[in-house]
Amino acid sequence: MHADKTLAWICGYILIASPLFAQDPRTIIAETQKRSYSSSQRYEGTLEVIGAENRVATKRWVFERIGSFGDSKAILRFTAPPEVKGVALLIVNHPDKSSDQWMWRPEIGRDQRIALQDRSTRFFGTDFSFEDLEERDVNQFDYKLAGEENGQWKIESRPRKSSQYGYLLMWVKKDNYTVTKVEAYNKKGLARVIEYRDFELNHNIWTARTTEVLDVARKSRTILKFDKLEYDLPLKPDQFTVEALRRES
Amino acid sequence: MIPLVFLLLAQNFEQRGFIESDSVFYPQTAPNDSGHAVDDLLFRWEASYKVAPWLKISGAFDADVDTHEQVERSWALDVDGRSIRRPALSLRRMSATLHKGHVTAELGRQFIRWGKADILNPTDRFAPKDYLSNVIEPDFLGVIAARVTIEAGNNSVDLVWQPWFTPSRTPLLDQRWTVIPPQADGVAIDDLGARYPGRSQFGARWNHIGSGYEYSFCVFDGYNNLPLFSAVFDPQTNTLGLQRYYPELRSYGADAAVPLPWFTVKGEAAYFSSSTPDTDQYGLYVVQIERQVKEWSFVGGYAGEVLTRAGNPLEFAPDRGFARSFVGRAAWTIDARRSLAMNAAVRAGGSFTRFEYSQTYGQHWRATANLAWIRGDMTDFLGEYHRNSYASLGVRYSF
Repeated sequence: MHADKTLAWICGYILIASPLFAQDPRTIIAETQKRSYSSSQRYEGTLEVIGAENRVATKRWVFERIGSFGDSKAILRFTAPPEVKGVALLIVNHPDKSSDQWMWRPEIGRDQRIALQDRSTRFFGTDFSFEDLEERDVNQFDYKLAGEENGQWKIESRPRKSSQYGYLLMWVKKDNYTVTKVEAYNKKGLARVIEYRDFELNHNIWTARTTEVLDVARKSRTILKFDKLEYDLPLKPDQFTVEALRRES
Repeated sequence: MIPLVFLLLAQNFEQRGFIESDSVFYPQTAPNDSGHAVDDLLFRWEASYKVAPWLKISGAFDADVDTHEQVERSWALDVDGRSIRRPALSLRRMSATLHKGHVTAELGRQFIRWGKADILNPTDRFAPKDYLSNVIEPDFLGVIAARVTIEAGNNSVDLVWQPWFTPSRTPLLDQRWTVIPPQADGVAIDDLGARYPGRSQFGARWNHIGSGYEYSFCVFDGYNNLPLFSAVFDPQTNTLGLQRYYPELRSYGADAAVPLPWFTVKGEAAYFSSSTPDTDQYGLYVVQIERQVKEWSFVGGYAGEVLTRAGNPLEFAPDRGFARSFVGRAAWTIDARRSLAMNAAVRAGGSFTRFEYSQTYGQHWRATANLAWIRGDMTDFLGEYHRNSYASLGVRYSF
C-alpha cells in the first residue's frame, strides 16, 4: 500500500508538474497550440492605428475562422470606417506553404487573388503585415530556448519557410502557456513587437483581448481589441470560399 | 418585445453609401464642347437585408445631378439602365440571393463580373459600363439577370441568363468624349437614339481554384453591350443622324492567375464572332504581371488584339481601344490615411498618364485629386482625346 501510494504520488506529481519540466521549446509551443485549439472562432475587432504623429485611424472588422493551425480558413470583413465597409479578405492557410488570399472590394464587385510575393506588405494601412495574419503550425518553425524571465519561457523560433522575419522571440507564461509577447526580427534587426494583454478565459481558452503591434521602423502602433469573442461555433465550410466573398458582400 | 424585434431586424440589415462631389477641369475646349468645368454630385446608398439564412435581398440606389446635362433632368426612377443620359434617380441593384448547400442563385438587377486581369477583361460580358463622363474610367452598370453558381470542391460553374439587354452608356454626341472627325466639321449631328435587341443573352463559366493557381473558361451568346452606329445623312439640312445598334456576339474566353515567387502572372483572352453583317470578328488578350513590395504595388502588362474580319468602322469600342497598349500602374500606400498612384497606358499613336493622390480626414471624409494627361494623334483611340487632359477633385463623405 505504501509503495502504491508513493507511486501514485510520484505519478500525480509528474502529471501536475510535467509542464514545468517541459523544457523542450517545441513541446512548449505545441502545448501552447494545443491549449488554444478550437474548431472555429469569431470575434469583432476594433483596430486603432496610431501613427508616428499620434494621429489615430480606427477600423473595425468581423473575423471568422474554421479549422485550426495551418489548416484553417478565415474571412475578415471590414465594418468600419464607412469607406472600407464591405471589403473582405479570405485567407486559406496551408500546413506546408504560404496561405492563399483573395480580397473582395465592393467598388469593383469582383474577387482578386492577392499577389503576396512580399508578405511584409502592411495590411490595409495597419501595422499588421499580411504574413502576421497567417496562422502557422508548430511544425513550420525550429525552436530554441533562449532563457527564462519573470515566470515565462523565452523561446527563439526560426521559420522553416520563406518569411520576412529571420527569427522571432516569444515569451510564454509557464502557468497557463499563453504567449504574452513576440519580438520579430528581420535582416535589419527588430522589426515588430507584438504584445498580448487583457487575458480572459473563454471557452476554456486563455485569450488576449488586446493585441498591440509596434512597427519599429515607422514608430507606428496598431491596437487590436477583441469583442464578442466566441469559439467552436457551428460555422460551415461553404462560408469560407471565394464564392462566399461575393455572396455575403 | 418591440425593441427586441427591432434589434433582431437590425442585426440582419446592413447598409453603406456615400455622397460625392466630383469636379473636373479641362484646360482645353473640344470642337463639340466649349465647357471647361463639369461638376457632378452623386448620392449612392446600398443596403441588404438577410431575410433568412438562405435568403438575402440587396438593393442600391443612385441620385445624381450635374452641371453639364449629362444627367437627365427628369425625376423618373430608372430601373433598366437604357437611358442615353444618366438618370437622375436609378435603381442600381435590386436582387434576391438564395443559397442552399453548394448552390447560390441571384435573381434581379445585379452586378456580374468575370475575369481575373486588372487592365482589361475580355471575358467580362455581363458588365456594361457608363462611359458618359469619362471613357477611360467608367463606372459599372447592373444587369437584369438570373445567375446560378454551383460549387463543388475547388470548382464552380456560373450559369447566367440575361433576359433584358442593358447597353453600355456612351458619351453624348455633343460632348467632348465623343470625338467628331474633322471631315464632319460644319455638319450637324443628330442623336437618333438606339435600337435594342430583343432576345435573351446566356453565359456559362467554369472556374477552378487550385493551390497556387486558378483558371476559368467561359462562353457567351448574346449581344455586344458596346454599340455600332448607323448613319443617315440629310443633305438638305446638312445633318448626320446617328443611331446606336448592338450586334450579336458570341465569345469564347479563358483566364488564369498564377502566383510565382517573384510576381503573379494573370492572363485573360477571348475570341468574338458575330452573325450581324458588317461586324468585326476579333480576339482580345491581356497578359499582366503584378508584385507588391512593402507599401508599393506594381501592375504592368500588355493588352493585344487580333482582327480576323473587319466590318463597320462606326463603332464605340473602348475595350478594343485599350488593346495594343502597354498598361502600367504603381501605387504607394503612404500611411493609413494617404495614398499615391500613377496609371499609364501607351499605344503606338497615343498615351494616357494619370496621377492620383488620395487622403482621408477622420472616419468619413476622403479627398482625391487627379491629374490626367492624354497625348497622341487623331487616328489613335487614346490620341483622339488629346484635348481632354484634365484635373479633378473628388470629395466623398461615406456613411
